[in-house]
Amino acid sequence: MKRIIFLLKTFTLWELFKGMRITLRYFFKPKITVQYPEEKTPTSNRFRGLHALRRYPNGEERCIACKLCEAACPAAAITIDSEVRADGTRRTTKYEIDLFKCIYCGFCEEACPVDSIVETTIQDYHFEKRGQQIMRKDELLAIGDQYEKEIAKMKAADAKFK
Amino acid sequence: MSDLVNVELDGKKIKVVQGSMIIEAADNNGVYIPRFCYHKKLTVAANCRMCLVEVEKNKKPVPACATPVTEGMKVFTRSELARNAQKAVMEFLLINHPLDCPICDQGGECELQDLAMGFGSDVSRYKESKRVIKDKNLGPFINTEMTRCIYCTRCVRFAQEIAGLPELGTMGRGEHTEISTFVEQAIHSEISGNIIDLCPVGALTSKPFKFSARAWELQQRAAIAPHDCLGSNINFHSLRGVVKRVVPKDNEAINEMWLSDRDRFSYEAINSEQRVTKPLLKRDGQWQEIDWTVALEIIASSFENVKHAYGAEQIAALVSPNSTVEEQFLVQKIMRKFGSNNIDHRLQQTDFRDQASLASTPQLGMPIADLENLDAVLLIGSDIQREQPLAGARLYKAFRNNAAKIMAINPYDFDFNFGLHAKIIAAPAQMVENLTIVSPQVQSIIDHLKQAKHKAIILGALAQNCAQAAELRSLAQHIANLTGATFGELSVGANAAGAWLTGCVPHRSAGGAALNQAGLDANSMFAHARRAYLLFNVDVEFDVADPQQALGALKKADFVVSCSPFVSDAMREYSDVILPIALFAETSGTFINCNGTWQTFAGAIPAQGETRPGWKVLRVLGNFLHLSGFEYNSSEDVKLEVQRLAREEEQEECQLASRKQAYEREKLDPVGRLKRSKLATASEELTRVSYWPMYRSDNIVRRSQPLQEMFALQASPEISISPALAEQLQLHAGDSVQITQDNQQVIASIQVDPKVPAGVVYCAAANRISAQLGNAFGTIQIKKVAT
Ligand code: SF4
Ligand code: SF4
Ligand code: SF4
Ligand code: FES
Repeated sequence: MKRIIFLLKTFTLWELFKGMRITLRYFFKPKITVQYPEEKTPTSNRFRGLHALRRYPNGEERCIACKLCEAACPAAAITIDSEVRADGTRRTTKYEIDLFKCIYCGFCEEACPVDSIVETTIQDYHFEKRGQQIMRKDELLAIGDQYEKEIAKMKAADAKFK
Repeated sequence: MSDLVNVELDGKKIKVVQGSMIIEAADNNGVYIPRFCYHKKLTVAANCRMCLVEVEKNKKPVPACATPVTEGMKVFTRSELARNAQKAVMEFLLINHPLDCPICDQGGECELQDLAMGFGSDVSRYKESKRVIKDKNLGPFINTEMTRCIYCTRCVRFAQEIAGLPELGTMGRGEHTEISTFVEQAIHSEISGNIIDLCPVGALTSKPFKFSARAWELQQRAAIAPHDCLGSNINFHSLRGVVKRVVPKDNEAINEMWLSDRDRFSYEAINSEQRVTKPLLKRDGQWQEIDWTVALEIIASSFENVKHAYGAEQIAALVSPNSTVEEQFLVQKIMRKFGSNNIDHRLQQTDFRDQASLASTPQLGMPIADLENLDAVLLIGSDIQREQPLAGARLYKAFRNNAAKIMAINPYDFDFNFGLHAKIIAAPAQMVENLTIVSPQVQSIIDHLKQAKHKAIILGALAQNCAQAAELRSLAQHIANLTGATFGELSVGANAAGAWLTGCVPHRSAGGAALNQAGLDANSMFAHARRAYLLFNVDVEFDVADPQQALGALKKADFVVSCSPFVSDAMREYSDVILPIALFAETSGTFINCNGTWQTFAGAIPAQGETRPGWKVLRVLGNFLHLSGFEYNSSEDVKLEVQRLAREEEQEECQLASRKQAYEREKLDPVGRLKRSKLATASEELTRVSYWPMYRSDNIVRRSQPLQEMFALQASPEISISPALAEQLQLHAGDSVQITQDNQQVIASIQVDPKVPAGVVYCAAANRISAQLGNAFGTIQIKKVAT
């Protein structure tokens, strides 16, 4: 008996139709494929992507070289050197994040007392040469300058939960 | 330990010494009571109120730092009453505190931060405006941020009680209280840096360290300060191979928990622009960088050439008294194995007549800590407060606590923070005369010493360096014998004792055995110019007693090697090869202090560039010279060899005994000895008396920027004379004079200073002018230049 049923299924391509049924079902279902990079999925306010250093509206960099982000970073990805700037304020001479070490935990952002280091929603970036993964201070500030509006919006949206 | 009382501390029954404070009892029994103003080395002020605790039968909480224990007392440090009191005090303290921890250098090691974590609340209820206080300028060492001050007055008490300079004070009352210098100017204490450590908050922080690192990321390595013969214990704090600061390491026997400013800020020289990081060779007057191998080959062949052509005694070596035992020993070994006894470390000295009868190392004769128990002290030729600042601080303590009678026989009337009970200010020759004929003043000093219980005679740098050193030393010993006082010497440099023990003297070998044929000392090796010189860690123009004679001899020499961490223009002129050696933070080594304590340390940071530790350089140089016995693997090996030699020498008892005898004989017959040696100065002539200013004392200090800024601020005069002499020569302060010494002429401006005795021209050494002059303690002429 078992053999007969087996033969029947084999000759009527039963398994194939079973499979095609699923294909057919998905064929008519609404699609969820995103046409990346033309299209993107929405991200949370708290998305943790590429880092940026922010400035105050008057153009002054926020970072005061307190090194709290460096201390908070569980991956030891941040390296900071500090000095007394000519005007007597405390500033960094070097601010580097090694993105290969970084685990995008956002602790640096949490630790920063002046909202200087932030993680933006930027997630698509690449490096072409070895060493490029170490983001320098000027690069981080440039990202901050470019995306300041978005960052400010994200921060504002999240402010009431802090 | 006589009277113990029973106290109950948080329910634990303990026995406490009667009269001690609750906070001490708690500290000794592992119970922590929060505090700001209390400090175990300072008097009790009880003004911060952070240490409030509950005591049974007391309605109000009491300050633990100012409440003595009594029999049956029950103390609760964590009861609700105590907790609430502590919390309330913390809230008050934070009212006016700016809470700027992220930009505060104290952040991470701040007592206020720590206690706020334990006793503060999470949000501030204080909404009103906070008061702001203007910052003070406390000179190049200390950075102020007075708004952070919590008025614990530790700094004020330190200045008064330890530094002996009531320079800091509180002004105003209540909310308007301010800590300030009475006279708004740089504070002049030579141990001022300690208030940086004392300040519990970030009101006083280190200026050279400012904003350069965080406490939590620094690596700590213990070491020994390389500037004076106390051998203060320090900790290097470094970040990624750069020394960021130096802090004291507790050692009750030596530096307690303090550090002199010189020891604290000299590290800035490590990154000086004058560091040399590659071996340099002068070829046809041009300097070029070369390889180590090439450099060492050139040195070896040049030395061998000189030896073959003229004999080994045409080679001489000068070693810094700040070099480590290992370095000194290896320089000595190279020289002796090569066949020359011309080696010395006594750069600043001018009188070597009594060298054969001296003990094997210069000693203080008592533990450093005992200085503070003295009742009477006689300083001879010593500016102890600036030569060995922490020994000076101990004497100040003796003066303050035991009313010690401190007396001085000096060639300059130094400003001491302790008052002098008696003083004789005279030219070195007159000092000798006074002591020999036992003038009435000297007699009264002797009487004071005789009456005292704990007494000492201390011979300082000026006495050891001057032309009458032998007489002064033997007379001092004589008086010490007479009065039963301890005789001690505080020698120049961090490791003079090591230099004596390792045989860096022309007449003794390593271990201290007397040699049959003494070599040339630091002066005669230049007076009788040699063909080749090995200079180790020395800036000849600043470090030696007779720069012109030395520079002349070096210029004439065929071959001069300088092993030095730094290069200067003068060094480029007189050297043929310069070898870069590691600085104190970069090498391992040992210093022997004035108590004969061996203190070994390891390097804290890697050596810069191609710099190598001095002992390694010398070890390899020994190999290149084909000398035997240079197979060391570590500085420890070298040290063990020195220790073995020193022990062997001690066992050679007969030799030691015979030397002792000679020594005793000399000691008991100072007047006879005086007759044997001729008095150096004729009374008509002016004598030059030179001192090495605290911040010009060695090659490291001279390249530390903050120390040099302080030196410039102090504006110590380069040449000064007494008012009587000024009148005689019709000179006024600021006049230009022509100074003549050994056919060298220099034009300089002169200062008139009543602290200079008659017949003396008091000169600072280690500066541009002194480098052009001759013998630091020789005769000198001055003449007015018409303007
Ligand atoms: S996101 Fe996390 S791992 Fe990355 S730099 Fe910040 S703290 Fe370090
Ligand atoms: S980014 Fe923020 S946390 Fe990091 S050093 Fe600068 S101020 Fe401090
Ligand atoms: S400056 Fe520092 S040590 Fe001095 S009173 Fe203020 S908090 Fe205390
Ligand atoms: S520590 Fe007791 S009152 Fe300050």
